[in-house]
Order: sequence, then structure tokens, then C-alpha cells
Amino acid sequence: MNRFSTTLVVFGLVVIVFAVALSRAPDKQVVTSALIGKTAPEFTLPNLLQPGTTVTNTTLKGRWYLLNVWATWCVECRAEHSVLMDIQREGKVVVLGVNYQDKDDDARQWLLDLGNPYEFVAVDRDGRVLIDYGGYGAPENFLVNPQGIIVKKTWGLTPKSWLAIRKEFIDGVKP
Amino acid sequence: MIRVLMALLAMTSLGVHAFEGTPQLSDPVKQRRYETLTHQLRCMQCQNETVADTPAKFAVDIRRQVREMVEAGKSETEVRQYMVERYGEVILFKPLWNAANSWLWLGPGVFLLGGLYVAWRILRRRGELLASDTSEVTDEAERP
Repeated sequence: MNRFSTTLVVFGLVVIVFAVALSRAPDKQVVTSALIGKTAPEFTLPNLLQPGTTVTNTTLKGRWYLLNVWATWCVECRAEHSVLMDIQREGKVVVLGVNYQDKDDDARQWLLDLGNPYEFVAVDRDGRVLIDYGGYGAPENFLVNPQGIIVKKTWGLTPKSWLAIRKEFIDGVKP
Repeated sequence: MIRVLMALLAMTSLGVHAFEGTPQLSDPVKQRRYETLTHQLRCMQCQNETVADTPAKFAVDIRRQVREMVEAGKSETEVRQYMVERYGEVILFKPLWNAANSWLWLGPGVFLLGGLYVAWRILRRRGELLASDTSEVTDEAERP
């Protein structure tokens, strides 16, 4: 009996340890980034819409901006596009595009078809800037505050998720 | 025995992948470093493969980045740190040795020692029981 109850207690402890560990385990769907709270890496890249010129995020200091990584091969990017248009219409946050591993002509056609929410579109043909941002695909979104700090990273945006982000970070906060 | 050895070799060998368009680095030390690193970094797009094992876009980019850094004379530690700063520790297949991870590294040893201790106690008790057992051994056949 004594041995039986010892086994039972040990088993119970194991169950408790697993239950606690599993309930505390991070949700795999939640995107974390090593760069949250850090300064957004600076970049200078070719300008998609004015070939021959370059664009940079260094001029954006002092304003909220959303860095949106997109590509025409990315289905979720198409779904997310209308949210970006809404953000641009709201006018509180500047939307920057980073066009990742794409073809210039396809990208320009996309903007003609769906509208252009971007202040500018940077051309990241080989993903160097994406690596600097700890990104690994499209869509990815980085919200940067007026001090140039990354405060939030998400994958695709929906109207609902954008509302939540705007409420948490931007509404009520004077830039 | 041979078969076991072959299986072990197959499991431990660094896969030899000749990706198109990536010629060997001229310096064999750097080539070796490049291969070691690409086998230690996780492909974040495909999660359970190393960047050396997959043709995913992300892996191609990371391989190029590692290659350039190694070519520029960066050490293994420097390249790993560069990746961890951007992607977090999750990009390393082998966890770093630090306070938060210590239980990962020490846990198995602690469990092994605990198991050995329990085994030792059981064996000792059994020995004691046998030594203190004075009852005579009776032959089954002689029983009434």
C-alpha cells in the first residue's frame, strides 16, 4: 500500500508538472521577434516606383510607420492589402513596402490593380533587409514608433488584428 | 555490428549537399566553418530542417549571408550571435549554454544520477535481505 501510494504521488507530480508546462508553453501561432524593443535596422534600397533612385527608412524618424514585407507570389499579401489601404487612409501610420524576392514589373502591376498604400516601396531582391529584420517570409509587418523602435511584429494583418494593434500602441499616444 | 556502425555513421555524417551555384570557398577552413554553421541553423520557414538541407527561399538567403560573413573572416560565434540577435535562440538547433537553459543541459544528468541512486538502494536492500535471510532452503520435492 505504501509503495502504491508513493507511485501515485510521483505520478501525480509528473502530471502536474506537465500540465503547468503545457499551459505555459508559448503559442506557436504568436509571432515573437528578437527585435521587439530594439531600434529598427536602417536600410537604403532601390525604389520600385522610381527606378534609379533609392529609398531609406532613416527619413521616417518622428513618425509611426508600418514596414510591410510583401510579394506578388504571396497569397496572404493579397488578402492583407485592403487593410494596408485602410491604414493609409486613416493617415496615422505611414505604410512602407518592402518588396521581397519578386519581379519589379509584377510588383508594379499589383499596385496598379489593387491600389498603392505605400509611402514608398523598397526593392529587397535577395532578402538582405529581411534578414536584418529577423524576417523569413511574406507577409510580415513591423510597427515602428516615432523613436525608431520596433514595438510589434505580426504576420498578415486583418481588420480586427490591426484594430487591436492600433488600440494598444497608437490611439491616445501623442507622437 | 557492421550494420550498427553504418547506421551510426549515416546518422552523424554531415549531409553532403552540393547546392547549385555555390562553389566551395577557396579556404578549406572557411568552407568547413560554412558547412558547420549551415548545419546548425534552423530554416525558420520550414522549422525542422537546417538551412543546409532545404532549397527554401529563406535558407538560400541565410546560406548566402553565412557565406559572406565567413568569407569576411567572421568566427562561428560571431555568425551565430548575428543570427540570434535577429531571430532569437530558436534559430539554433543546439541550445546555448546559459542560466535559463541549464536545466536542459543538466536535467538528463540529474535524472541519470537519481536513477542510479534508486537502483543502488534497491540492490543494497536486496543484498541485505538475502544476507539476513536465515530460513533454510527447502527442496520443493521434500515438501509434504
